[in-house]
Amino acid sequence: MTSGAVTGSAAVRVRGLWKRFGQQVAVAGIDLDLPAGKFIGLVGPNGAGKTTTLSMVTGLLRPDQGSVEVVGHDVWRDPVEVKARIGVLPEGLRLFERLSGRELLAYSGRLRGLPGAEVDKRAAQLLDVLDLAGAQHKLVVDYSTGMRKKIGLATALLHNPEVLFLDEPFEGVDPVSAQTIRGVLERFTASGATIVFSSHVMELVESLCDWVAVMAAGRIRAQGTLAEVRGDAPSLQRAFLELVGAHSRDTGSHLDWLGGGTAR
Amino acid sequence: MSADSAPRAHHSDPAPGITPVVVRLKLSLLRNGLKQSAGRRAAYIGSAVAVLLFTALLLIGLIALRGHAHAASLVVLLVAVLAAGWAVMPLFFPGGDETLDPTRLVMLPLRPRPLVRALLAASLIGIGPLFTVCVLAGSVVSVAHGPVAYVVGVVGVVLALLMCVALARTVAVANVRLLTSRKGRDLAVLSGLVVAVGAQVVNFGVQRLGTSGLAQLDGPADVLQWVPPASAIGAADSASEGAYGTAALQLALTALAPAALIALWSRHLTRLMTAPDGSTLQAADTRSGERKSAGLSRLLPPGRTGTVMERSLRYVWRDPKTKAAWVTSLAIGLIVPVFNALQGTGSLYFACFAAGMLGVQMYNQFGQDTSAFWLVAMTISSTRDAYVELRARALALLVITLPYAVLVTVLTTALLDDWPKLPEVLGLSFALLGAMLATGAWTSARFPYSIPQEGYKNVAPGQAGLAFMAILGGMVSAALLCAPVIAGTIWLNVSDGGDRWSWLLLPVGAVYGAAITVGGLRLAAPRTARQLPEILLAVSKG
Repeated sequence: MTSGAVTGSAAVRVRGLWKRFGQQVAVAGIDLDLPAGKFIGLVGPNGAGKTTTLSMVTGLLRPDQGSVEVVGHDVWRDPVEVKARIGVLPEGLRLFERLSGRELLAYSGRLRGLPGAEVDKRAAQLLDVLDLAGAQHKLVVDYSTGMRKKIGLATALLHNPEVLFLDEPFEGVDPVSAQTIRGVLERFTASGATIVFSSHVMELVESLCDWVAVMAAGRIRAQGTLAEVRGDAPSLQRAFLELVGAHSRDTGSHLDWLGGGTAR
Repeated sequence: MSADSAPRAHHSDPAPGITPVVVRLKLSLLRNGLKQSAGRRAAYIGSAVAVLLFTALLLIGLIALRGHAHAASLVVLLVAVLAAGWAVMPLFFPGGDETLDPTRLVMLPLRPRPLVRALLAASLIGIGPLFTVCVLAGSVVSVAHGPVAYVVGVVGVVLALLMCVALARTVAVANVRLLTSRKGRDLAVLSGLVVAVGAQVVNFGVQRLGTSGLAQLDGPADVLQWVPPASAIGAADSASEGAYGTAALQLALTALAPAALIALWSRHLTRLMTAPDGSTLQAADTRSGERKSAGLSRLLPPGRTGTVMERSLRYVWRDPKTKAAWVTSLAIGLIVPVFNALQGTGSLYFACFAAGMLGVQMYNQFGQDTSAFWLVAMTISSTRDAYVELRARALALLVITLPYAVLVTVLTTALLDDWPKLPEVLGLSFALLGAMLATGAWTSARFPYSIPQEGYKNVAPGQAGLAFMAILGGMVSAALLCAPVIAGTIWLNVSDGGDRWSWLLLPVGAVYGAAITVGGLRLAAPRTARQLPEILLAVSKG
């Protein structure tokens, strides 16, 4: 197991983070040091605790135990410093769906205290770049999944955050929208910002990220640069399956009747 | 029905096949409904027996009505109500009759005209049509005198029944089209409210009828006897009185209505079965421009306050749940004081109802946001932020509530002609409104709960106790908070010469209400700022 030992420039520092829901332990005492200025992937199977972790890191869910620091400020003791510096795209939470895309951006930018003219300028550019200009006056409730993710991303980027947290930003998104999102994110990290995103699609993580944390059953199984986590394995997918212990299931002999076209 | 289009290769039946098939389908569906379970069978048979008993009683009552001075007015109204029932029934029980949903037949190679005929025939089978025939026949018996009247009546009954059935079918088809679009689903949420407000109106109507007798009915009946299908009864009544020309006209109207409805239905049906559904069409729909929003935001204060107010006010109009809650509050807040005043039974103090009903909208503010509250939570990092957020929501509410409460109070005063009492009632209203806003803000932070976005429910499963506690506890606390102003009002009313000073209650009530609101907001703000994740969790269950 490797650890990113660059404490000086950590964008996110997590220590002993726990969360239980009744009997179920969702996050079991994790430590994380995510370096600043990197494109970071938090990967793991469904139910690994990725969403719970991201919610606690961004201050949307109160942990049972442990501490979280984002760019050197404690999330729970110092919310003023933290909330202004982060952008969030949560999974499974609604937006204000009865606003149009443009109104949603105007609303959330002004809530964050940005001047109105600046909000409108940035909103127009974001809508343009994310290919939403044509749908800007449609209500968000009528948006498709891809459009929703894109307007959520625009909301998260509007105040130019230092760290961007994205929970499954590519889930259910068509290839065209995915490419648009990808382009915007790559441009964003190139400017020195940090992106933390969760996903269970290994190919995506491998092609986008330069730093990876692997999560399974509420624990961090590995964290480090892509090369460190991959080790000797031919791909991140293989390395991941070994880390989570899911490599030895044989499906070969049980479904031997399947296929062949004899239809019986 | 006329035998038309179909080729006459088979000499016996011009439209071979589908009418009997659909009728048999309907019978099978009825029979299979009985087979499903013993409990269901018992329930079905029980309700059928109850309906038949009710029908029999109604029939006896209608026949007994024969010769009564206002019989014609009563039965005309009865038939109009019956038709209204046929019109709304498919909206509330869309699953009640599977043959009502023509999209189930969409894969079959059927032409519209035979299909319409077949579906219409199938509609005539069931307890509903039987009940309708009995009511119609009873109505004719109660008004018809002489053979001509009976002949007119029999024709009228057939036409009226046909119209009821066609009405239900037309509404059902229009409804299917509606329910496949978001706009339609929004409307469905609002339709519950029509019933709630309608019930209030009916309640007052019946009370009024009780006090002033059946003669009240003559006015509406005079109009309704020209509206199909009530015009069928009107025709029988006219024929009894020897006004054959009028009778013929009314009968013609009764015949015209089902014909028009069937034509409309058949057009809808064809479109429904050949066009893509509403959810597909939605994507092509483009809205143009932000109509009133630019003007609205210019009037509001700058910064967070204006931003939050604008969003809140937009939601009153755009979010179906919020809109339904508001319209209910506005309607009941007006109906209770004004209708009571109209009947002369009211007190001016009922005008406070408007303030009370609208103040309820301050409750569960964050629940109204649904899980989108996370966007708000991400921007609240201090008690000050939370205070401004809550204050802006209260201000948005006041933009509507304050003028409305004043309007209702002045209207009620005018109806009761009790102007000297106006200032004290206004003062009391303002104090009550302030107390509702204060308790509403606090309970929003202390007892948030989810409002499901689909369906009629306003509380997520498992949170009903929470919601009940919040609203009831809040209202009791609001009443207690108002106690000083209420006590002042009583004291000035009972003491000698108190009337001279009762105008003082207006400024006192207004200032007291404002102060108490600020106090409530100040109390709610730190709790909101501290409990953001807990509030988000509570409002994300819908």
